[in-house]
Amino acid sequence: MKDRVTYPFVAIVGQERMKMGLILTIVNPTLSGILIRGEKGTAKSTAVRGLAEILPLIDTVRDCPFQLAPEEQGEVCDECPHLTCRERLARGEAPEIIQRKVSVVELPVGATEDRVVGTLDMEHALKEGEKHFDPGLLATAHRGILYVDEVNLLDDHVVDVLLDSAAMGVNTVEREGVSYTHPARFTLVGTMNPEEGELRPQLLDRFGLCVTIEGARETEQRVEIMERRVAFDENPAGFVEKWREDSLRLAEEIVRAVALYPHVAIRRELLFEIAAYCIDVGVDGHRGDIIMLKAAKTLAAFHGRKDATPEDIEEVAQYVLPHRVRRQPLQEIIHDVGHMRRPVADQP
Amino acid sequence: MIGATFDTWETFPVPVYPFSAIVGQERMKLALILNAIDPCIGGVLIRGEKGTAKSTAVRALAALMPECSIFSGCSFACDPECSEEWCPDCRNRDSIPAIRRRRARVVTLPLNATEDMVLGGIDFSKTILSGRCIVQPGLLARAHRGILYVDEVNLLDDHLVDLILDAAASGENVVEREGISFRHTTRFTLIGTMNPEEGALRPQLLDRFGLCVEVTSERDVSTRVDLMERRARFDLRSDEFLLLSADAEAKLAGKLARARDLLPSVRMEPHIRSYISELAVNHHVAGHRADLAIERAACAHAAWDGRNRADTKDVLAVAEMALMHRRREAMPPPPPPQPPPQRNNETNSGEKGTSQAPPSESTSSSEQERLSLPGMGNGGERKESPEASESPDQLFPVGPTFSVKRLAPPTDRLMRRGSGRRSRTRTSQKQGRYVRSRVSSECRDLALDATLRAAAPYQLQRRKGSRTAVVIRKKDWREKVREKRTGSFILFIVDASGSMGSRGRMAASKGAVMSLLLDAYQKRDRIAMATFRRREATILLPPTASIEVAARLLSEMPIGGRTPLSAGLAKGYEVLQVQMRRDPNLRPLAVLITDGKSNVPMGKNSPMEEALHLAEHLGRDARVHWIVVDTEEAGIVRFELARRIAEVLGGEYFRIDDLRAADLIRVLKGRIA
Repeated sequence: MKDRVTYPFVAIVGQERMKMGLILTIVNPTLSGILIRGEKGTAKSTAVRGLAEILPLIDTVRDCPFQLAPEEQGEVCDECPHLTCRERLARGEAPEIIQRKVSVVELPVGATEDRVVGTLDMEHALKEGEKHFDPGLLATAHRGILYVDEVNLLDDHVVDVLLDSAAMGVNTVEREGVSYTHPARFTLVGTMNPEEGELRPQLLDRFGLCVTIEGARETEQRVEIMERRVAFDENPAGFVEKWREDSLRLAEEIVRAVALYPHVAIRRELLFEIAAYCIDVGVDGHRGDIIMLKAAKTLAAFHGRKDATPEDIEEVAQYVLPHRVRRQPLQEIIHDVGHMRRPVADQP
Repeated sequence: MIGATFDTWETFPVPVYPFSAIVGQERMKLALILNAIDPCIGGVLIRGEKGTAKSTAVRALAALMPECSIFSGCSFACDPECSEEWCPDCRNRDSIPAIRRRRARVVTLPLNATEDMVLGGIDFSKTILSGRCIVQPGLLARAHRGILYVDEVNLLDDHLVDLILDAAASGENVVEREGISFRHTTRFTLIGTMNPEEGALRPQLLDRFGLCVEVTSERDVSTRVDLMERRARFDLRSDEFLLLSADAEAKLAGKLARARDLLPSVRMEPHIRSYISELAVNHHVAGHRADLAIERAACAHAAWDGRNRADTKDVLAVAEMALMHRRREAMPPPPPPQPPPQRNNETNSGEKGTSQAPPSESTSSSEQERLSLPGMGNGGERKESPEASESPDQLFPVGPTFSVKRLAPPTDRLMRRGSGRRSRTRTSQKQGRYVRSRVSSECRDLALDATLRAAAPYQLQRRKGSRTAVVIRKKDWREKVREKRTGSFILFIVDASGSMGSRGRMAASKGAVMSLLLDAYQKRDRIAMATFRRREATILLPPTASIEVAARLLSEMPIGGRTPLSAGLAKGYEVLQVQMRRDPNLRPLAVLITDGKSNVPMGKNSPMEEALHLAEHLGRDARVHWIVVDTEEAGIVRFELARRIAEVLGGEYFRIDDLRAADLIRVLKGRIA
């Protein structure tokens, strides 16, 4: 895509939770996104970019504004402003395919809803009397990663739309007499600085995973970070080369996990464990249960196992539950949900 | 004149989780089903915590809606049977077009919908191509004979609420704007979902819903497991899942269809009707909507059960859903329940035998208990607690209040000053009413009517060789100037603890609040009032513009108990947040009236520390302007705790001694202006 070299994901020091959370959502986008809460300068966007960099290339119809895969072409294309591709389709020719990297689309804080969901190409409508849909960022992010910085400062409606699309894999626009639906399957990554206000609970709940991160506290780690960063800045290509093997290994693991996920089984008693866990820590609704189940399976798949274990559940609870635990107004989000549980002994 | 189609409304298929596969939530499902059987029940409001399948259920309902016949080509879903309700298009047709059948729709109204989108507007491309003004029907037209679904209905903009209420009440949508004028019938079932955590619903809108159900998450572990398994399977292989549940879904649809067919023949005995009205009276329900909703719902319930006679069982099954949101709150203690009036419909008693018993005229005390349904006792307690459940520790009489009369002089002056000061702001978002247009080089929010008018004079010369009937150049572009009414929002957080009761301090505070109420009423500002005392904070007055309720509540406000200052701050901020969420441009004003002696914490920390910490947190929200009025008595020892609170809040600080009611108003008015 671009020549700019990205800092390798595997070379990020610490922030294990964030890295694992990102990997889980990449492997399984139906976890409906991850929210990263933390201060500035904690490698959030570096991680997202670095992860996208190592993912395998994807086949895309050339110049397609909806980033469609060749097999996805169909109804969506009927009102696509991209004419050449439409003509090819009409002639029954195969579309032109290119391979490209998974894209990271950034949503600016000031983004209006129009920009996000897309809108009617008004100029075209006025000139030609034809409705054309002008795709927004959700179309651009299809099959990629949508990175929303400062999600808590975004307009509530926009966040609502984002989460809806992330959960359903489809974006439906009904505005100004346009009604349009196109696929929008993306991994949603939101970041926020809790000091600038929380998301409202309804929206918070709809992020599948949530991790809270902070800057490294130990001097050693900080030194390590500096050293690596300096090494990278001095010789980006060389630095990336040095980490190439690790990157490749991770990429392989992810690809394998994606393939394995549908085959991961979970024992029935573990489902009881999940339900009991959610009841114990006091979670509203059922989204927690469902996400926890999926996350546990995803984690097992990432570790190359076909069976989810109690340890998987214990681990993903740290990603799935903190932001769902019922809180007093203005109470901070709990970091460690594990110790909120009653002793496991009195559970069935 | 009118002619439009929805070319692309139904396209991309999104897998919808099937209704029959939803685990638990029986009441919610029942309420939805009843509405699908009889649309006249008047809709459902589903209230509940997040993640309890509220939206899932409503979306799934679409697959179970009855089929209705429409003219093909009619975009207003006119009923071929009902010629007096036809849209102008159908009325002016020469020949009767083909009739096709389709499912009634579930139309989602997004929170950010624009007025054109809801009511209908001009269809751009068709108008330009044909040169005639062609109407693009709005969501109200789409929802005709179907369901209008509003997710998070409590956050819906007031402006849109008014539009919907208006259309729902008249059954007709009248559009007179942007140079178009048309009307069409719209009858829809309103379904709303909301999470009460995020604020209450306006009473008028609340009453509009025929039924209301509360949903909570399942507490039973195995039910939760079942639920997880199903959802996981659906997410993994939705096609497979849908195939597996197709049987159950078809069965459900069949049962629904039978119930619908049965409904017209369902009878209700007159004594059951009296029973219903008794129920309504016993629950102090305002208006008659509850009675009607119960009657309809009971009939539908009987039909769902496959019976053609609705009896008390049906009534009891649905009554709670119709009553729970209509019970009057914040009203004077209810009059003692009177025995129901003598009835003389005993003639048919032989026929019905035992089921006749409940509505017998001498309603015994046990009968009264039966009438008061389970789960209906909460909610009203907020208002009753001051009188009823006062514990003996401290009981101040209701502090002396300024009567409206005594406040008349300052109020009168304020009225003159305040009249016509309803602030309007331009909005850059596509919200609010379209008031006029202006020249624009961008077409983000195009005012098509004005654009067309601007282009009209040049059409003769431009039209040569053009594909479109109207040729529009960039210089014709006009964009909409929208206006949104932004009354201010003032929140009073009043310390009602015992320490406030001395030396008429409370009276002064109340007087100040009262005067402001009157002033706010003039300017259509909205106000809310939260108080804190004993162990908790309550919202004494939810955001309102009703001066009467506010005045009465204020004068009845009880005083006494300890001071949970942090709870008061938290509660107040909750109210503010909801308001700011609805209107991101709002810059509310919060007036904290207290002596600052916090002595009841919410958590484990010391109460004062907690209050200061919280205040600091709240102070970071720059949108809220804080004013702290200190009511500490002038004495030798002053703690000036309120001053510290004001400092961390980043707000202004006033002592009540320096501040008579009139002065306080002046301060506030300065802020609002």
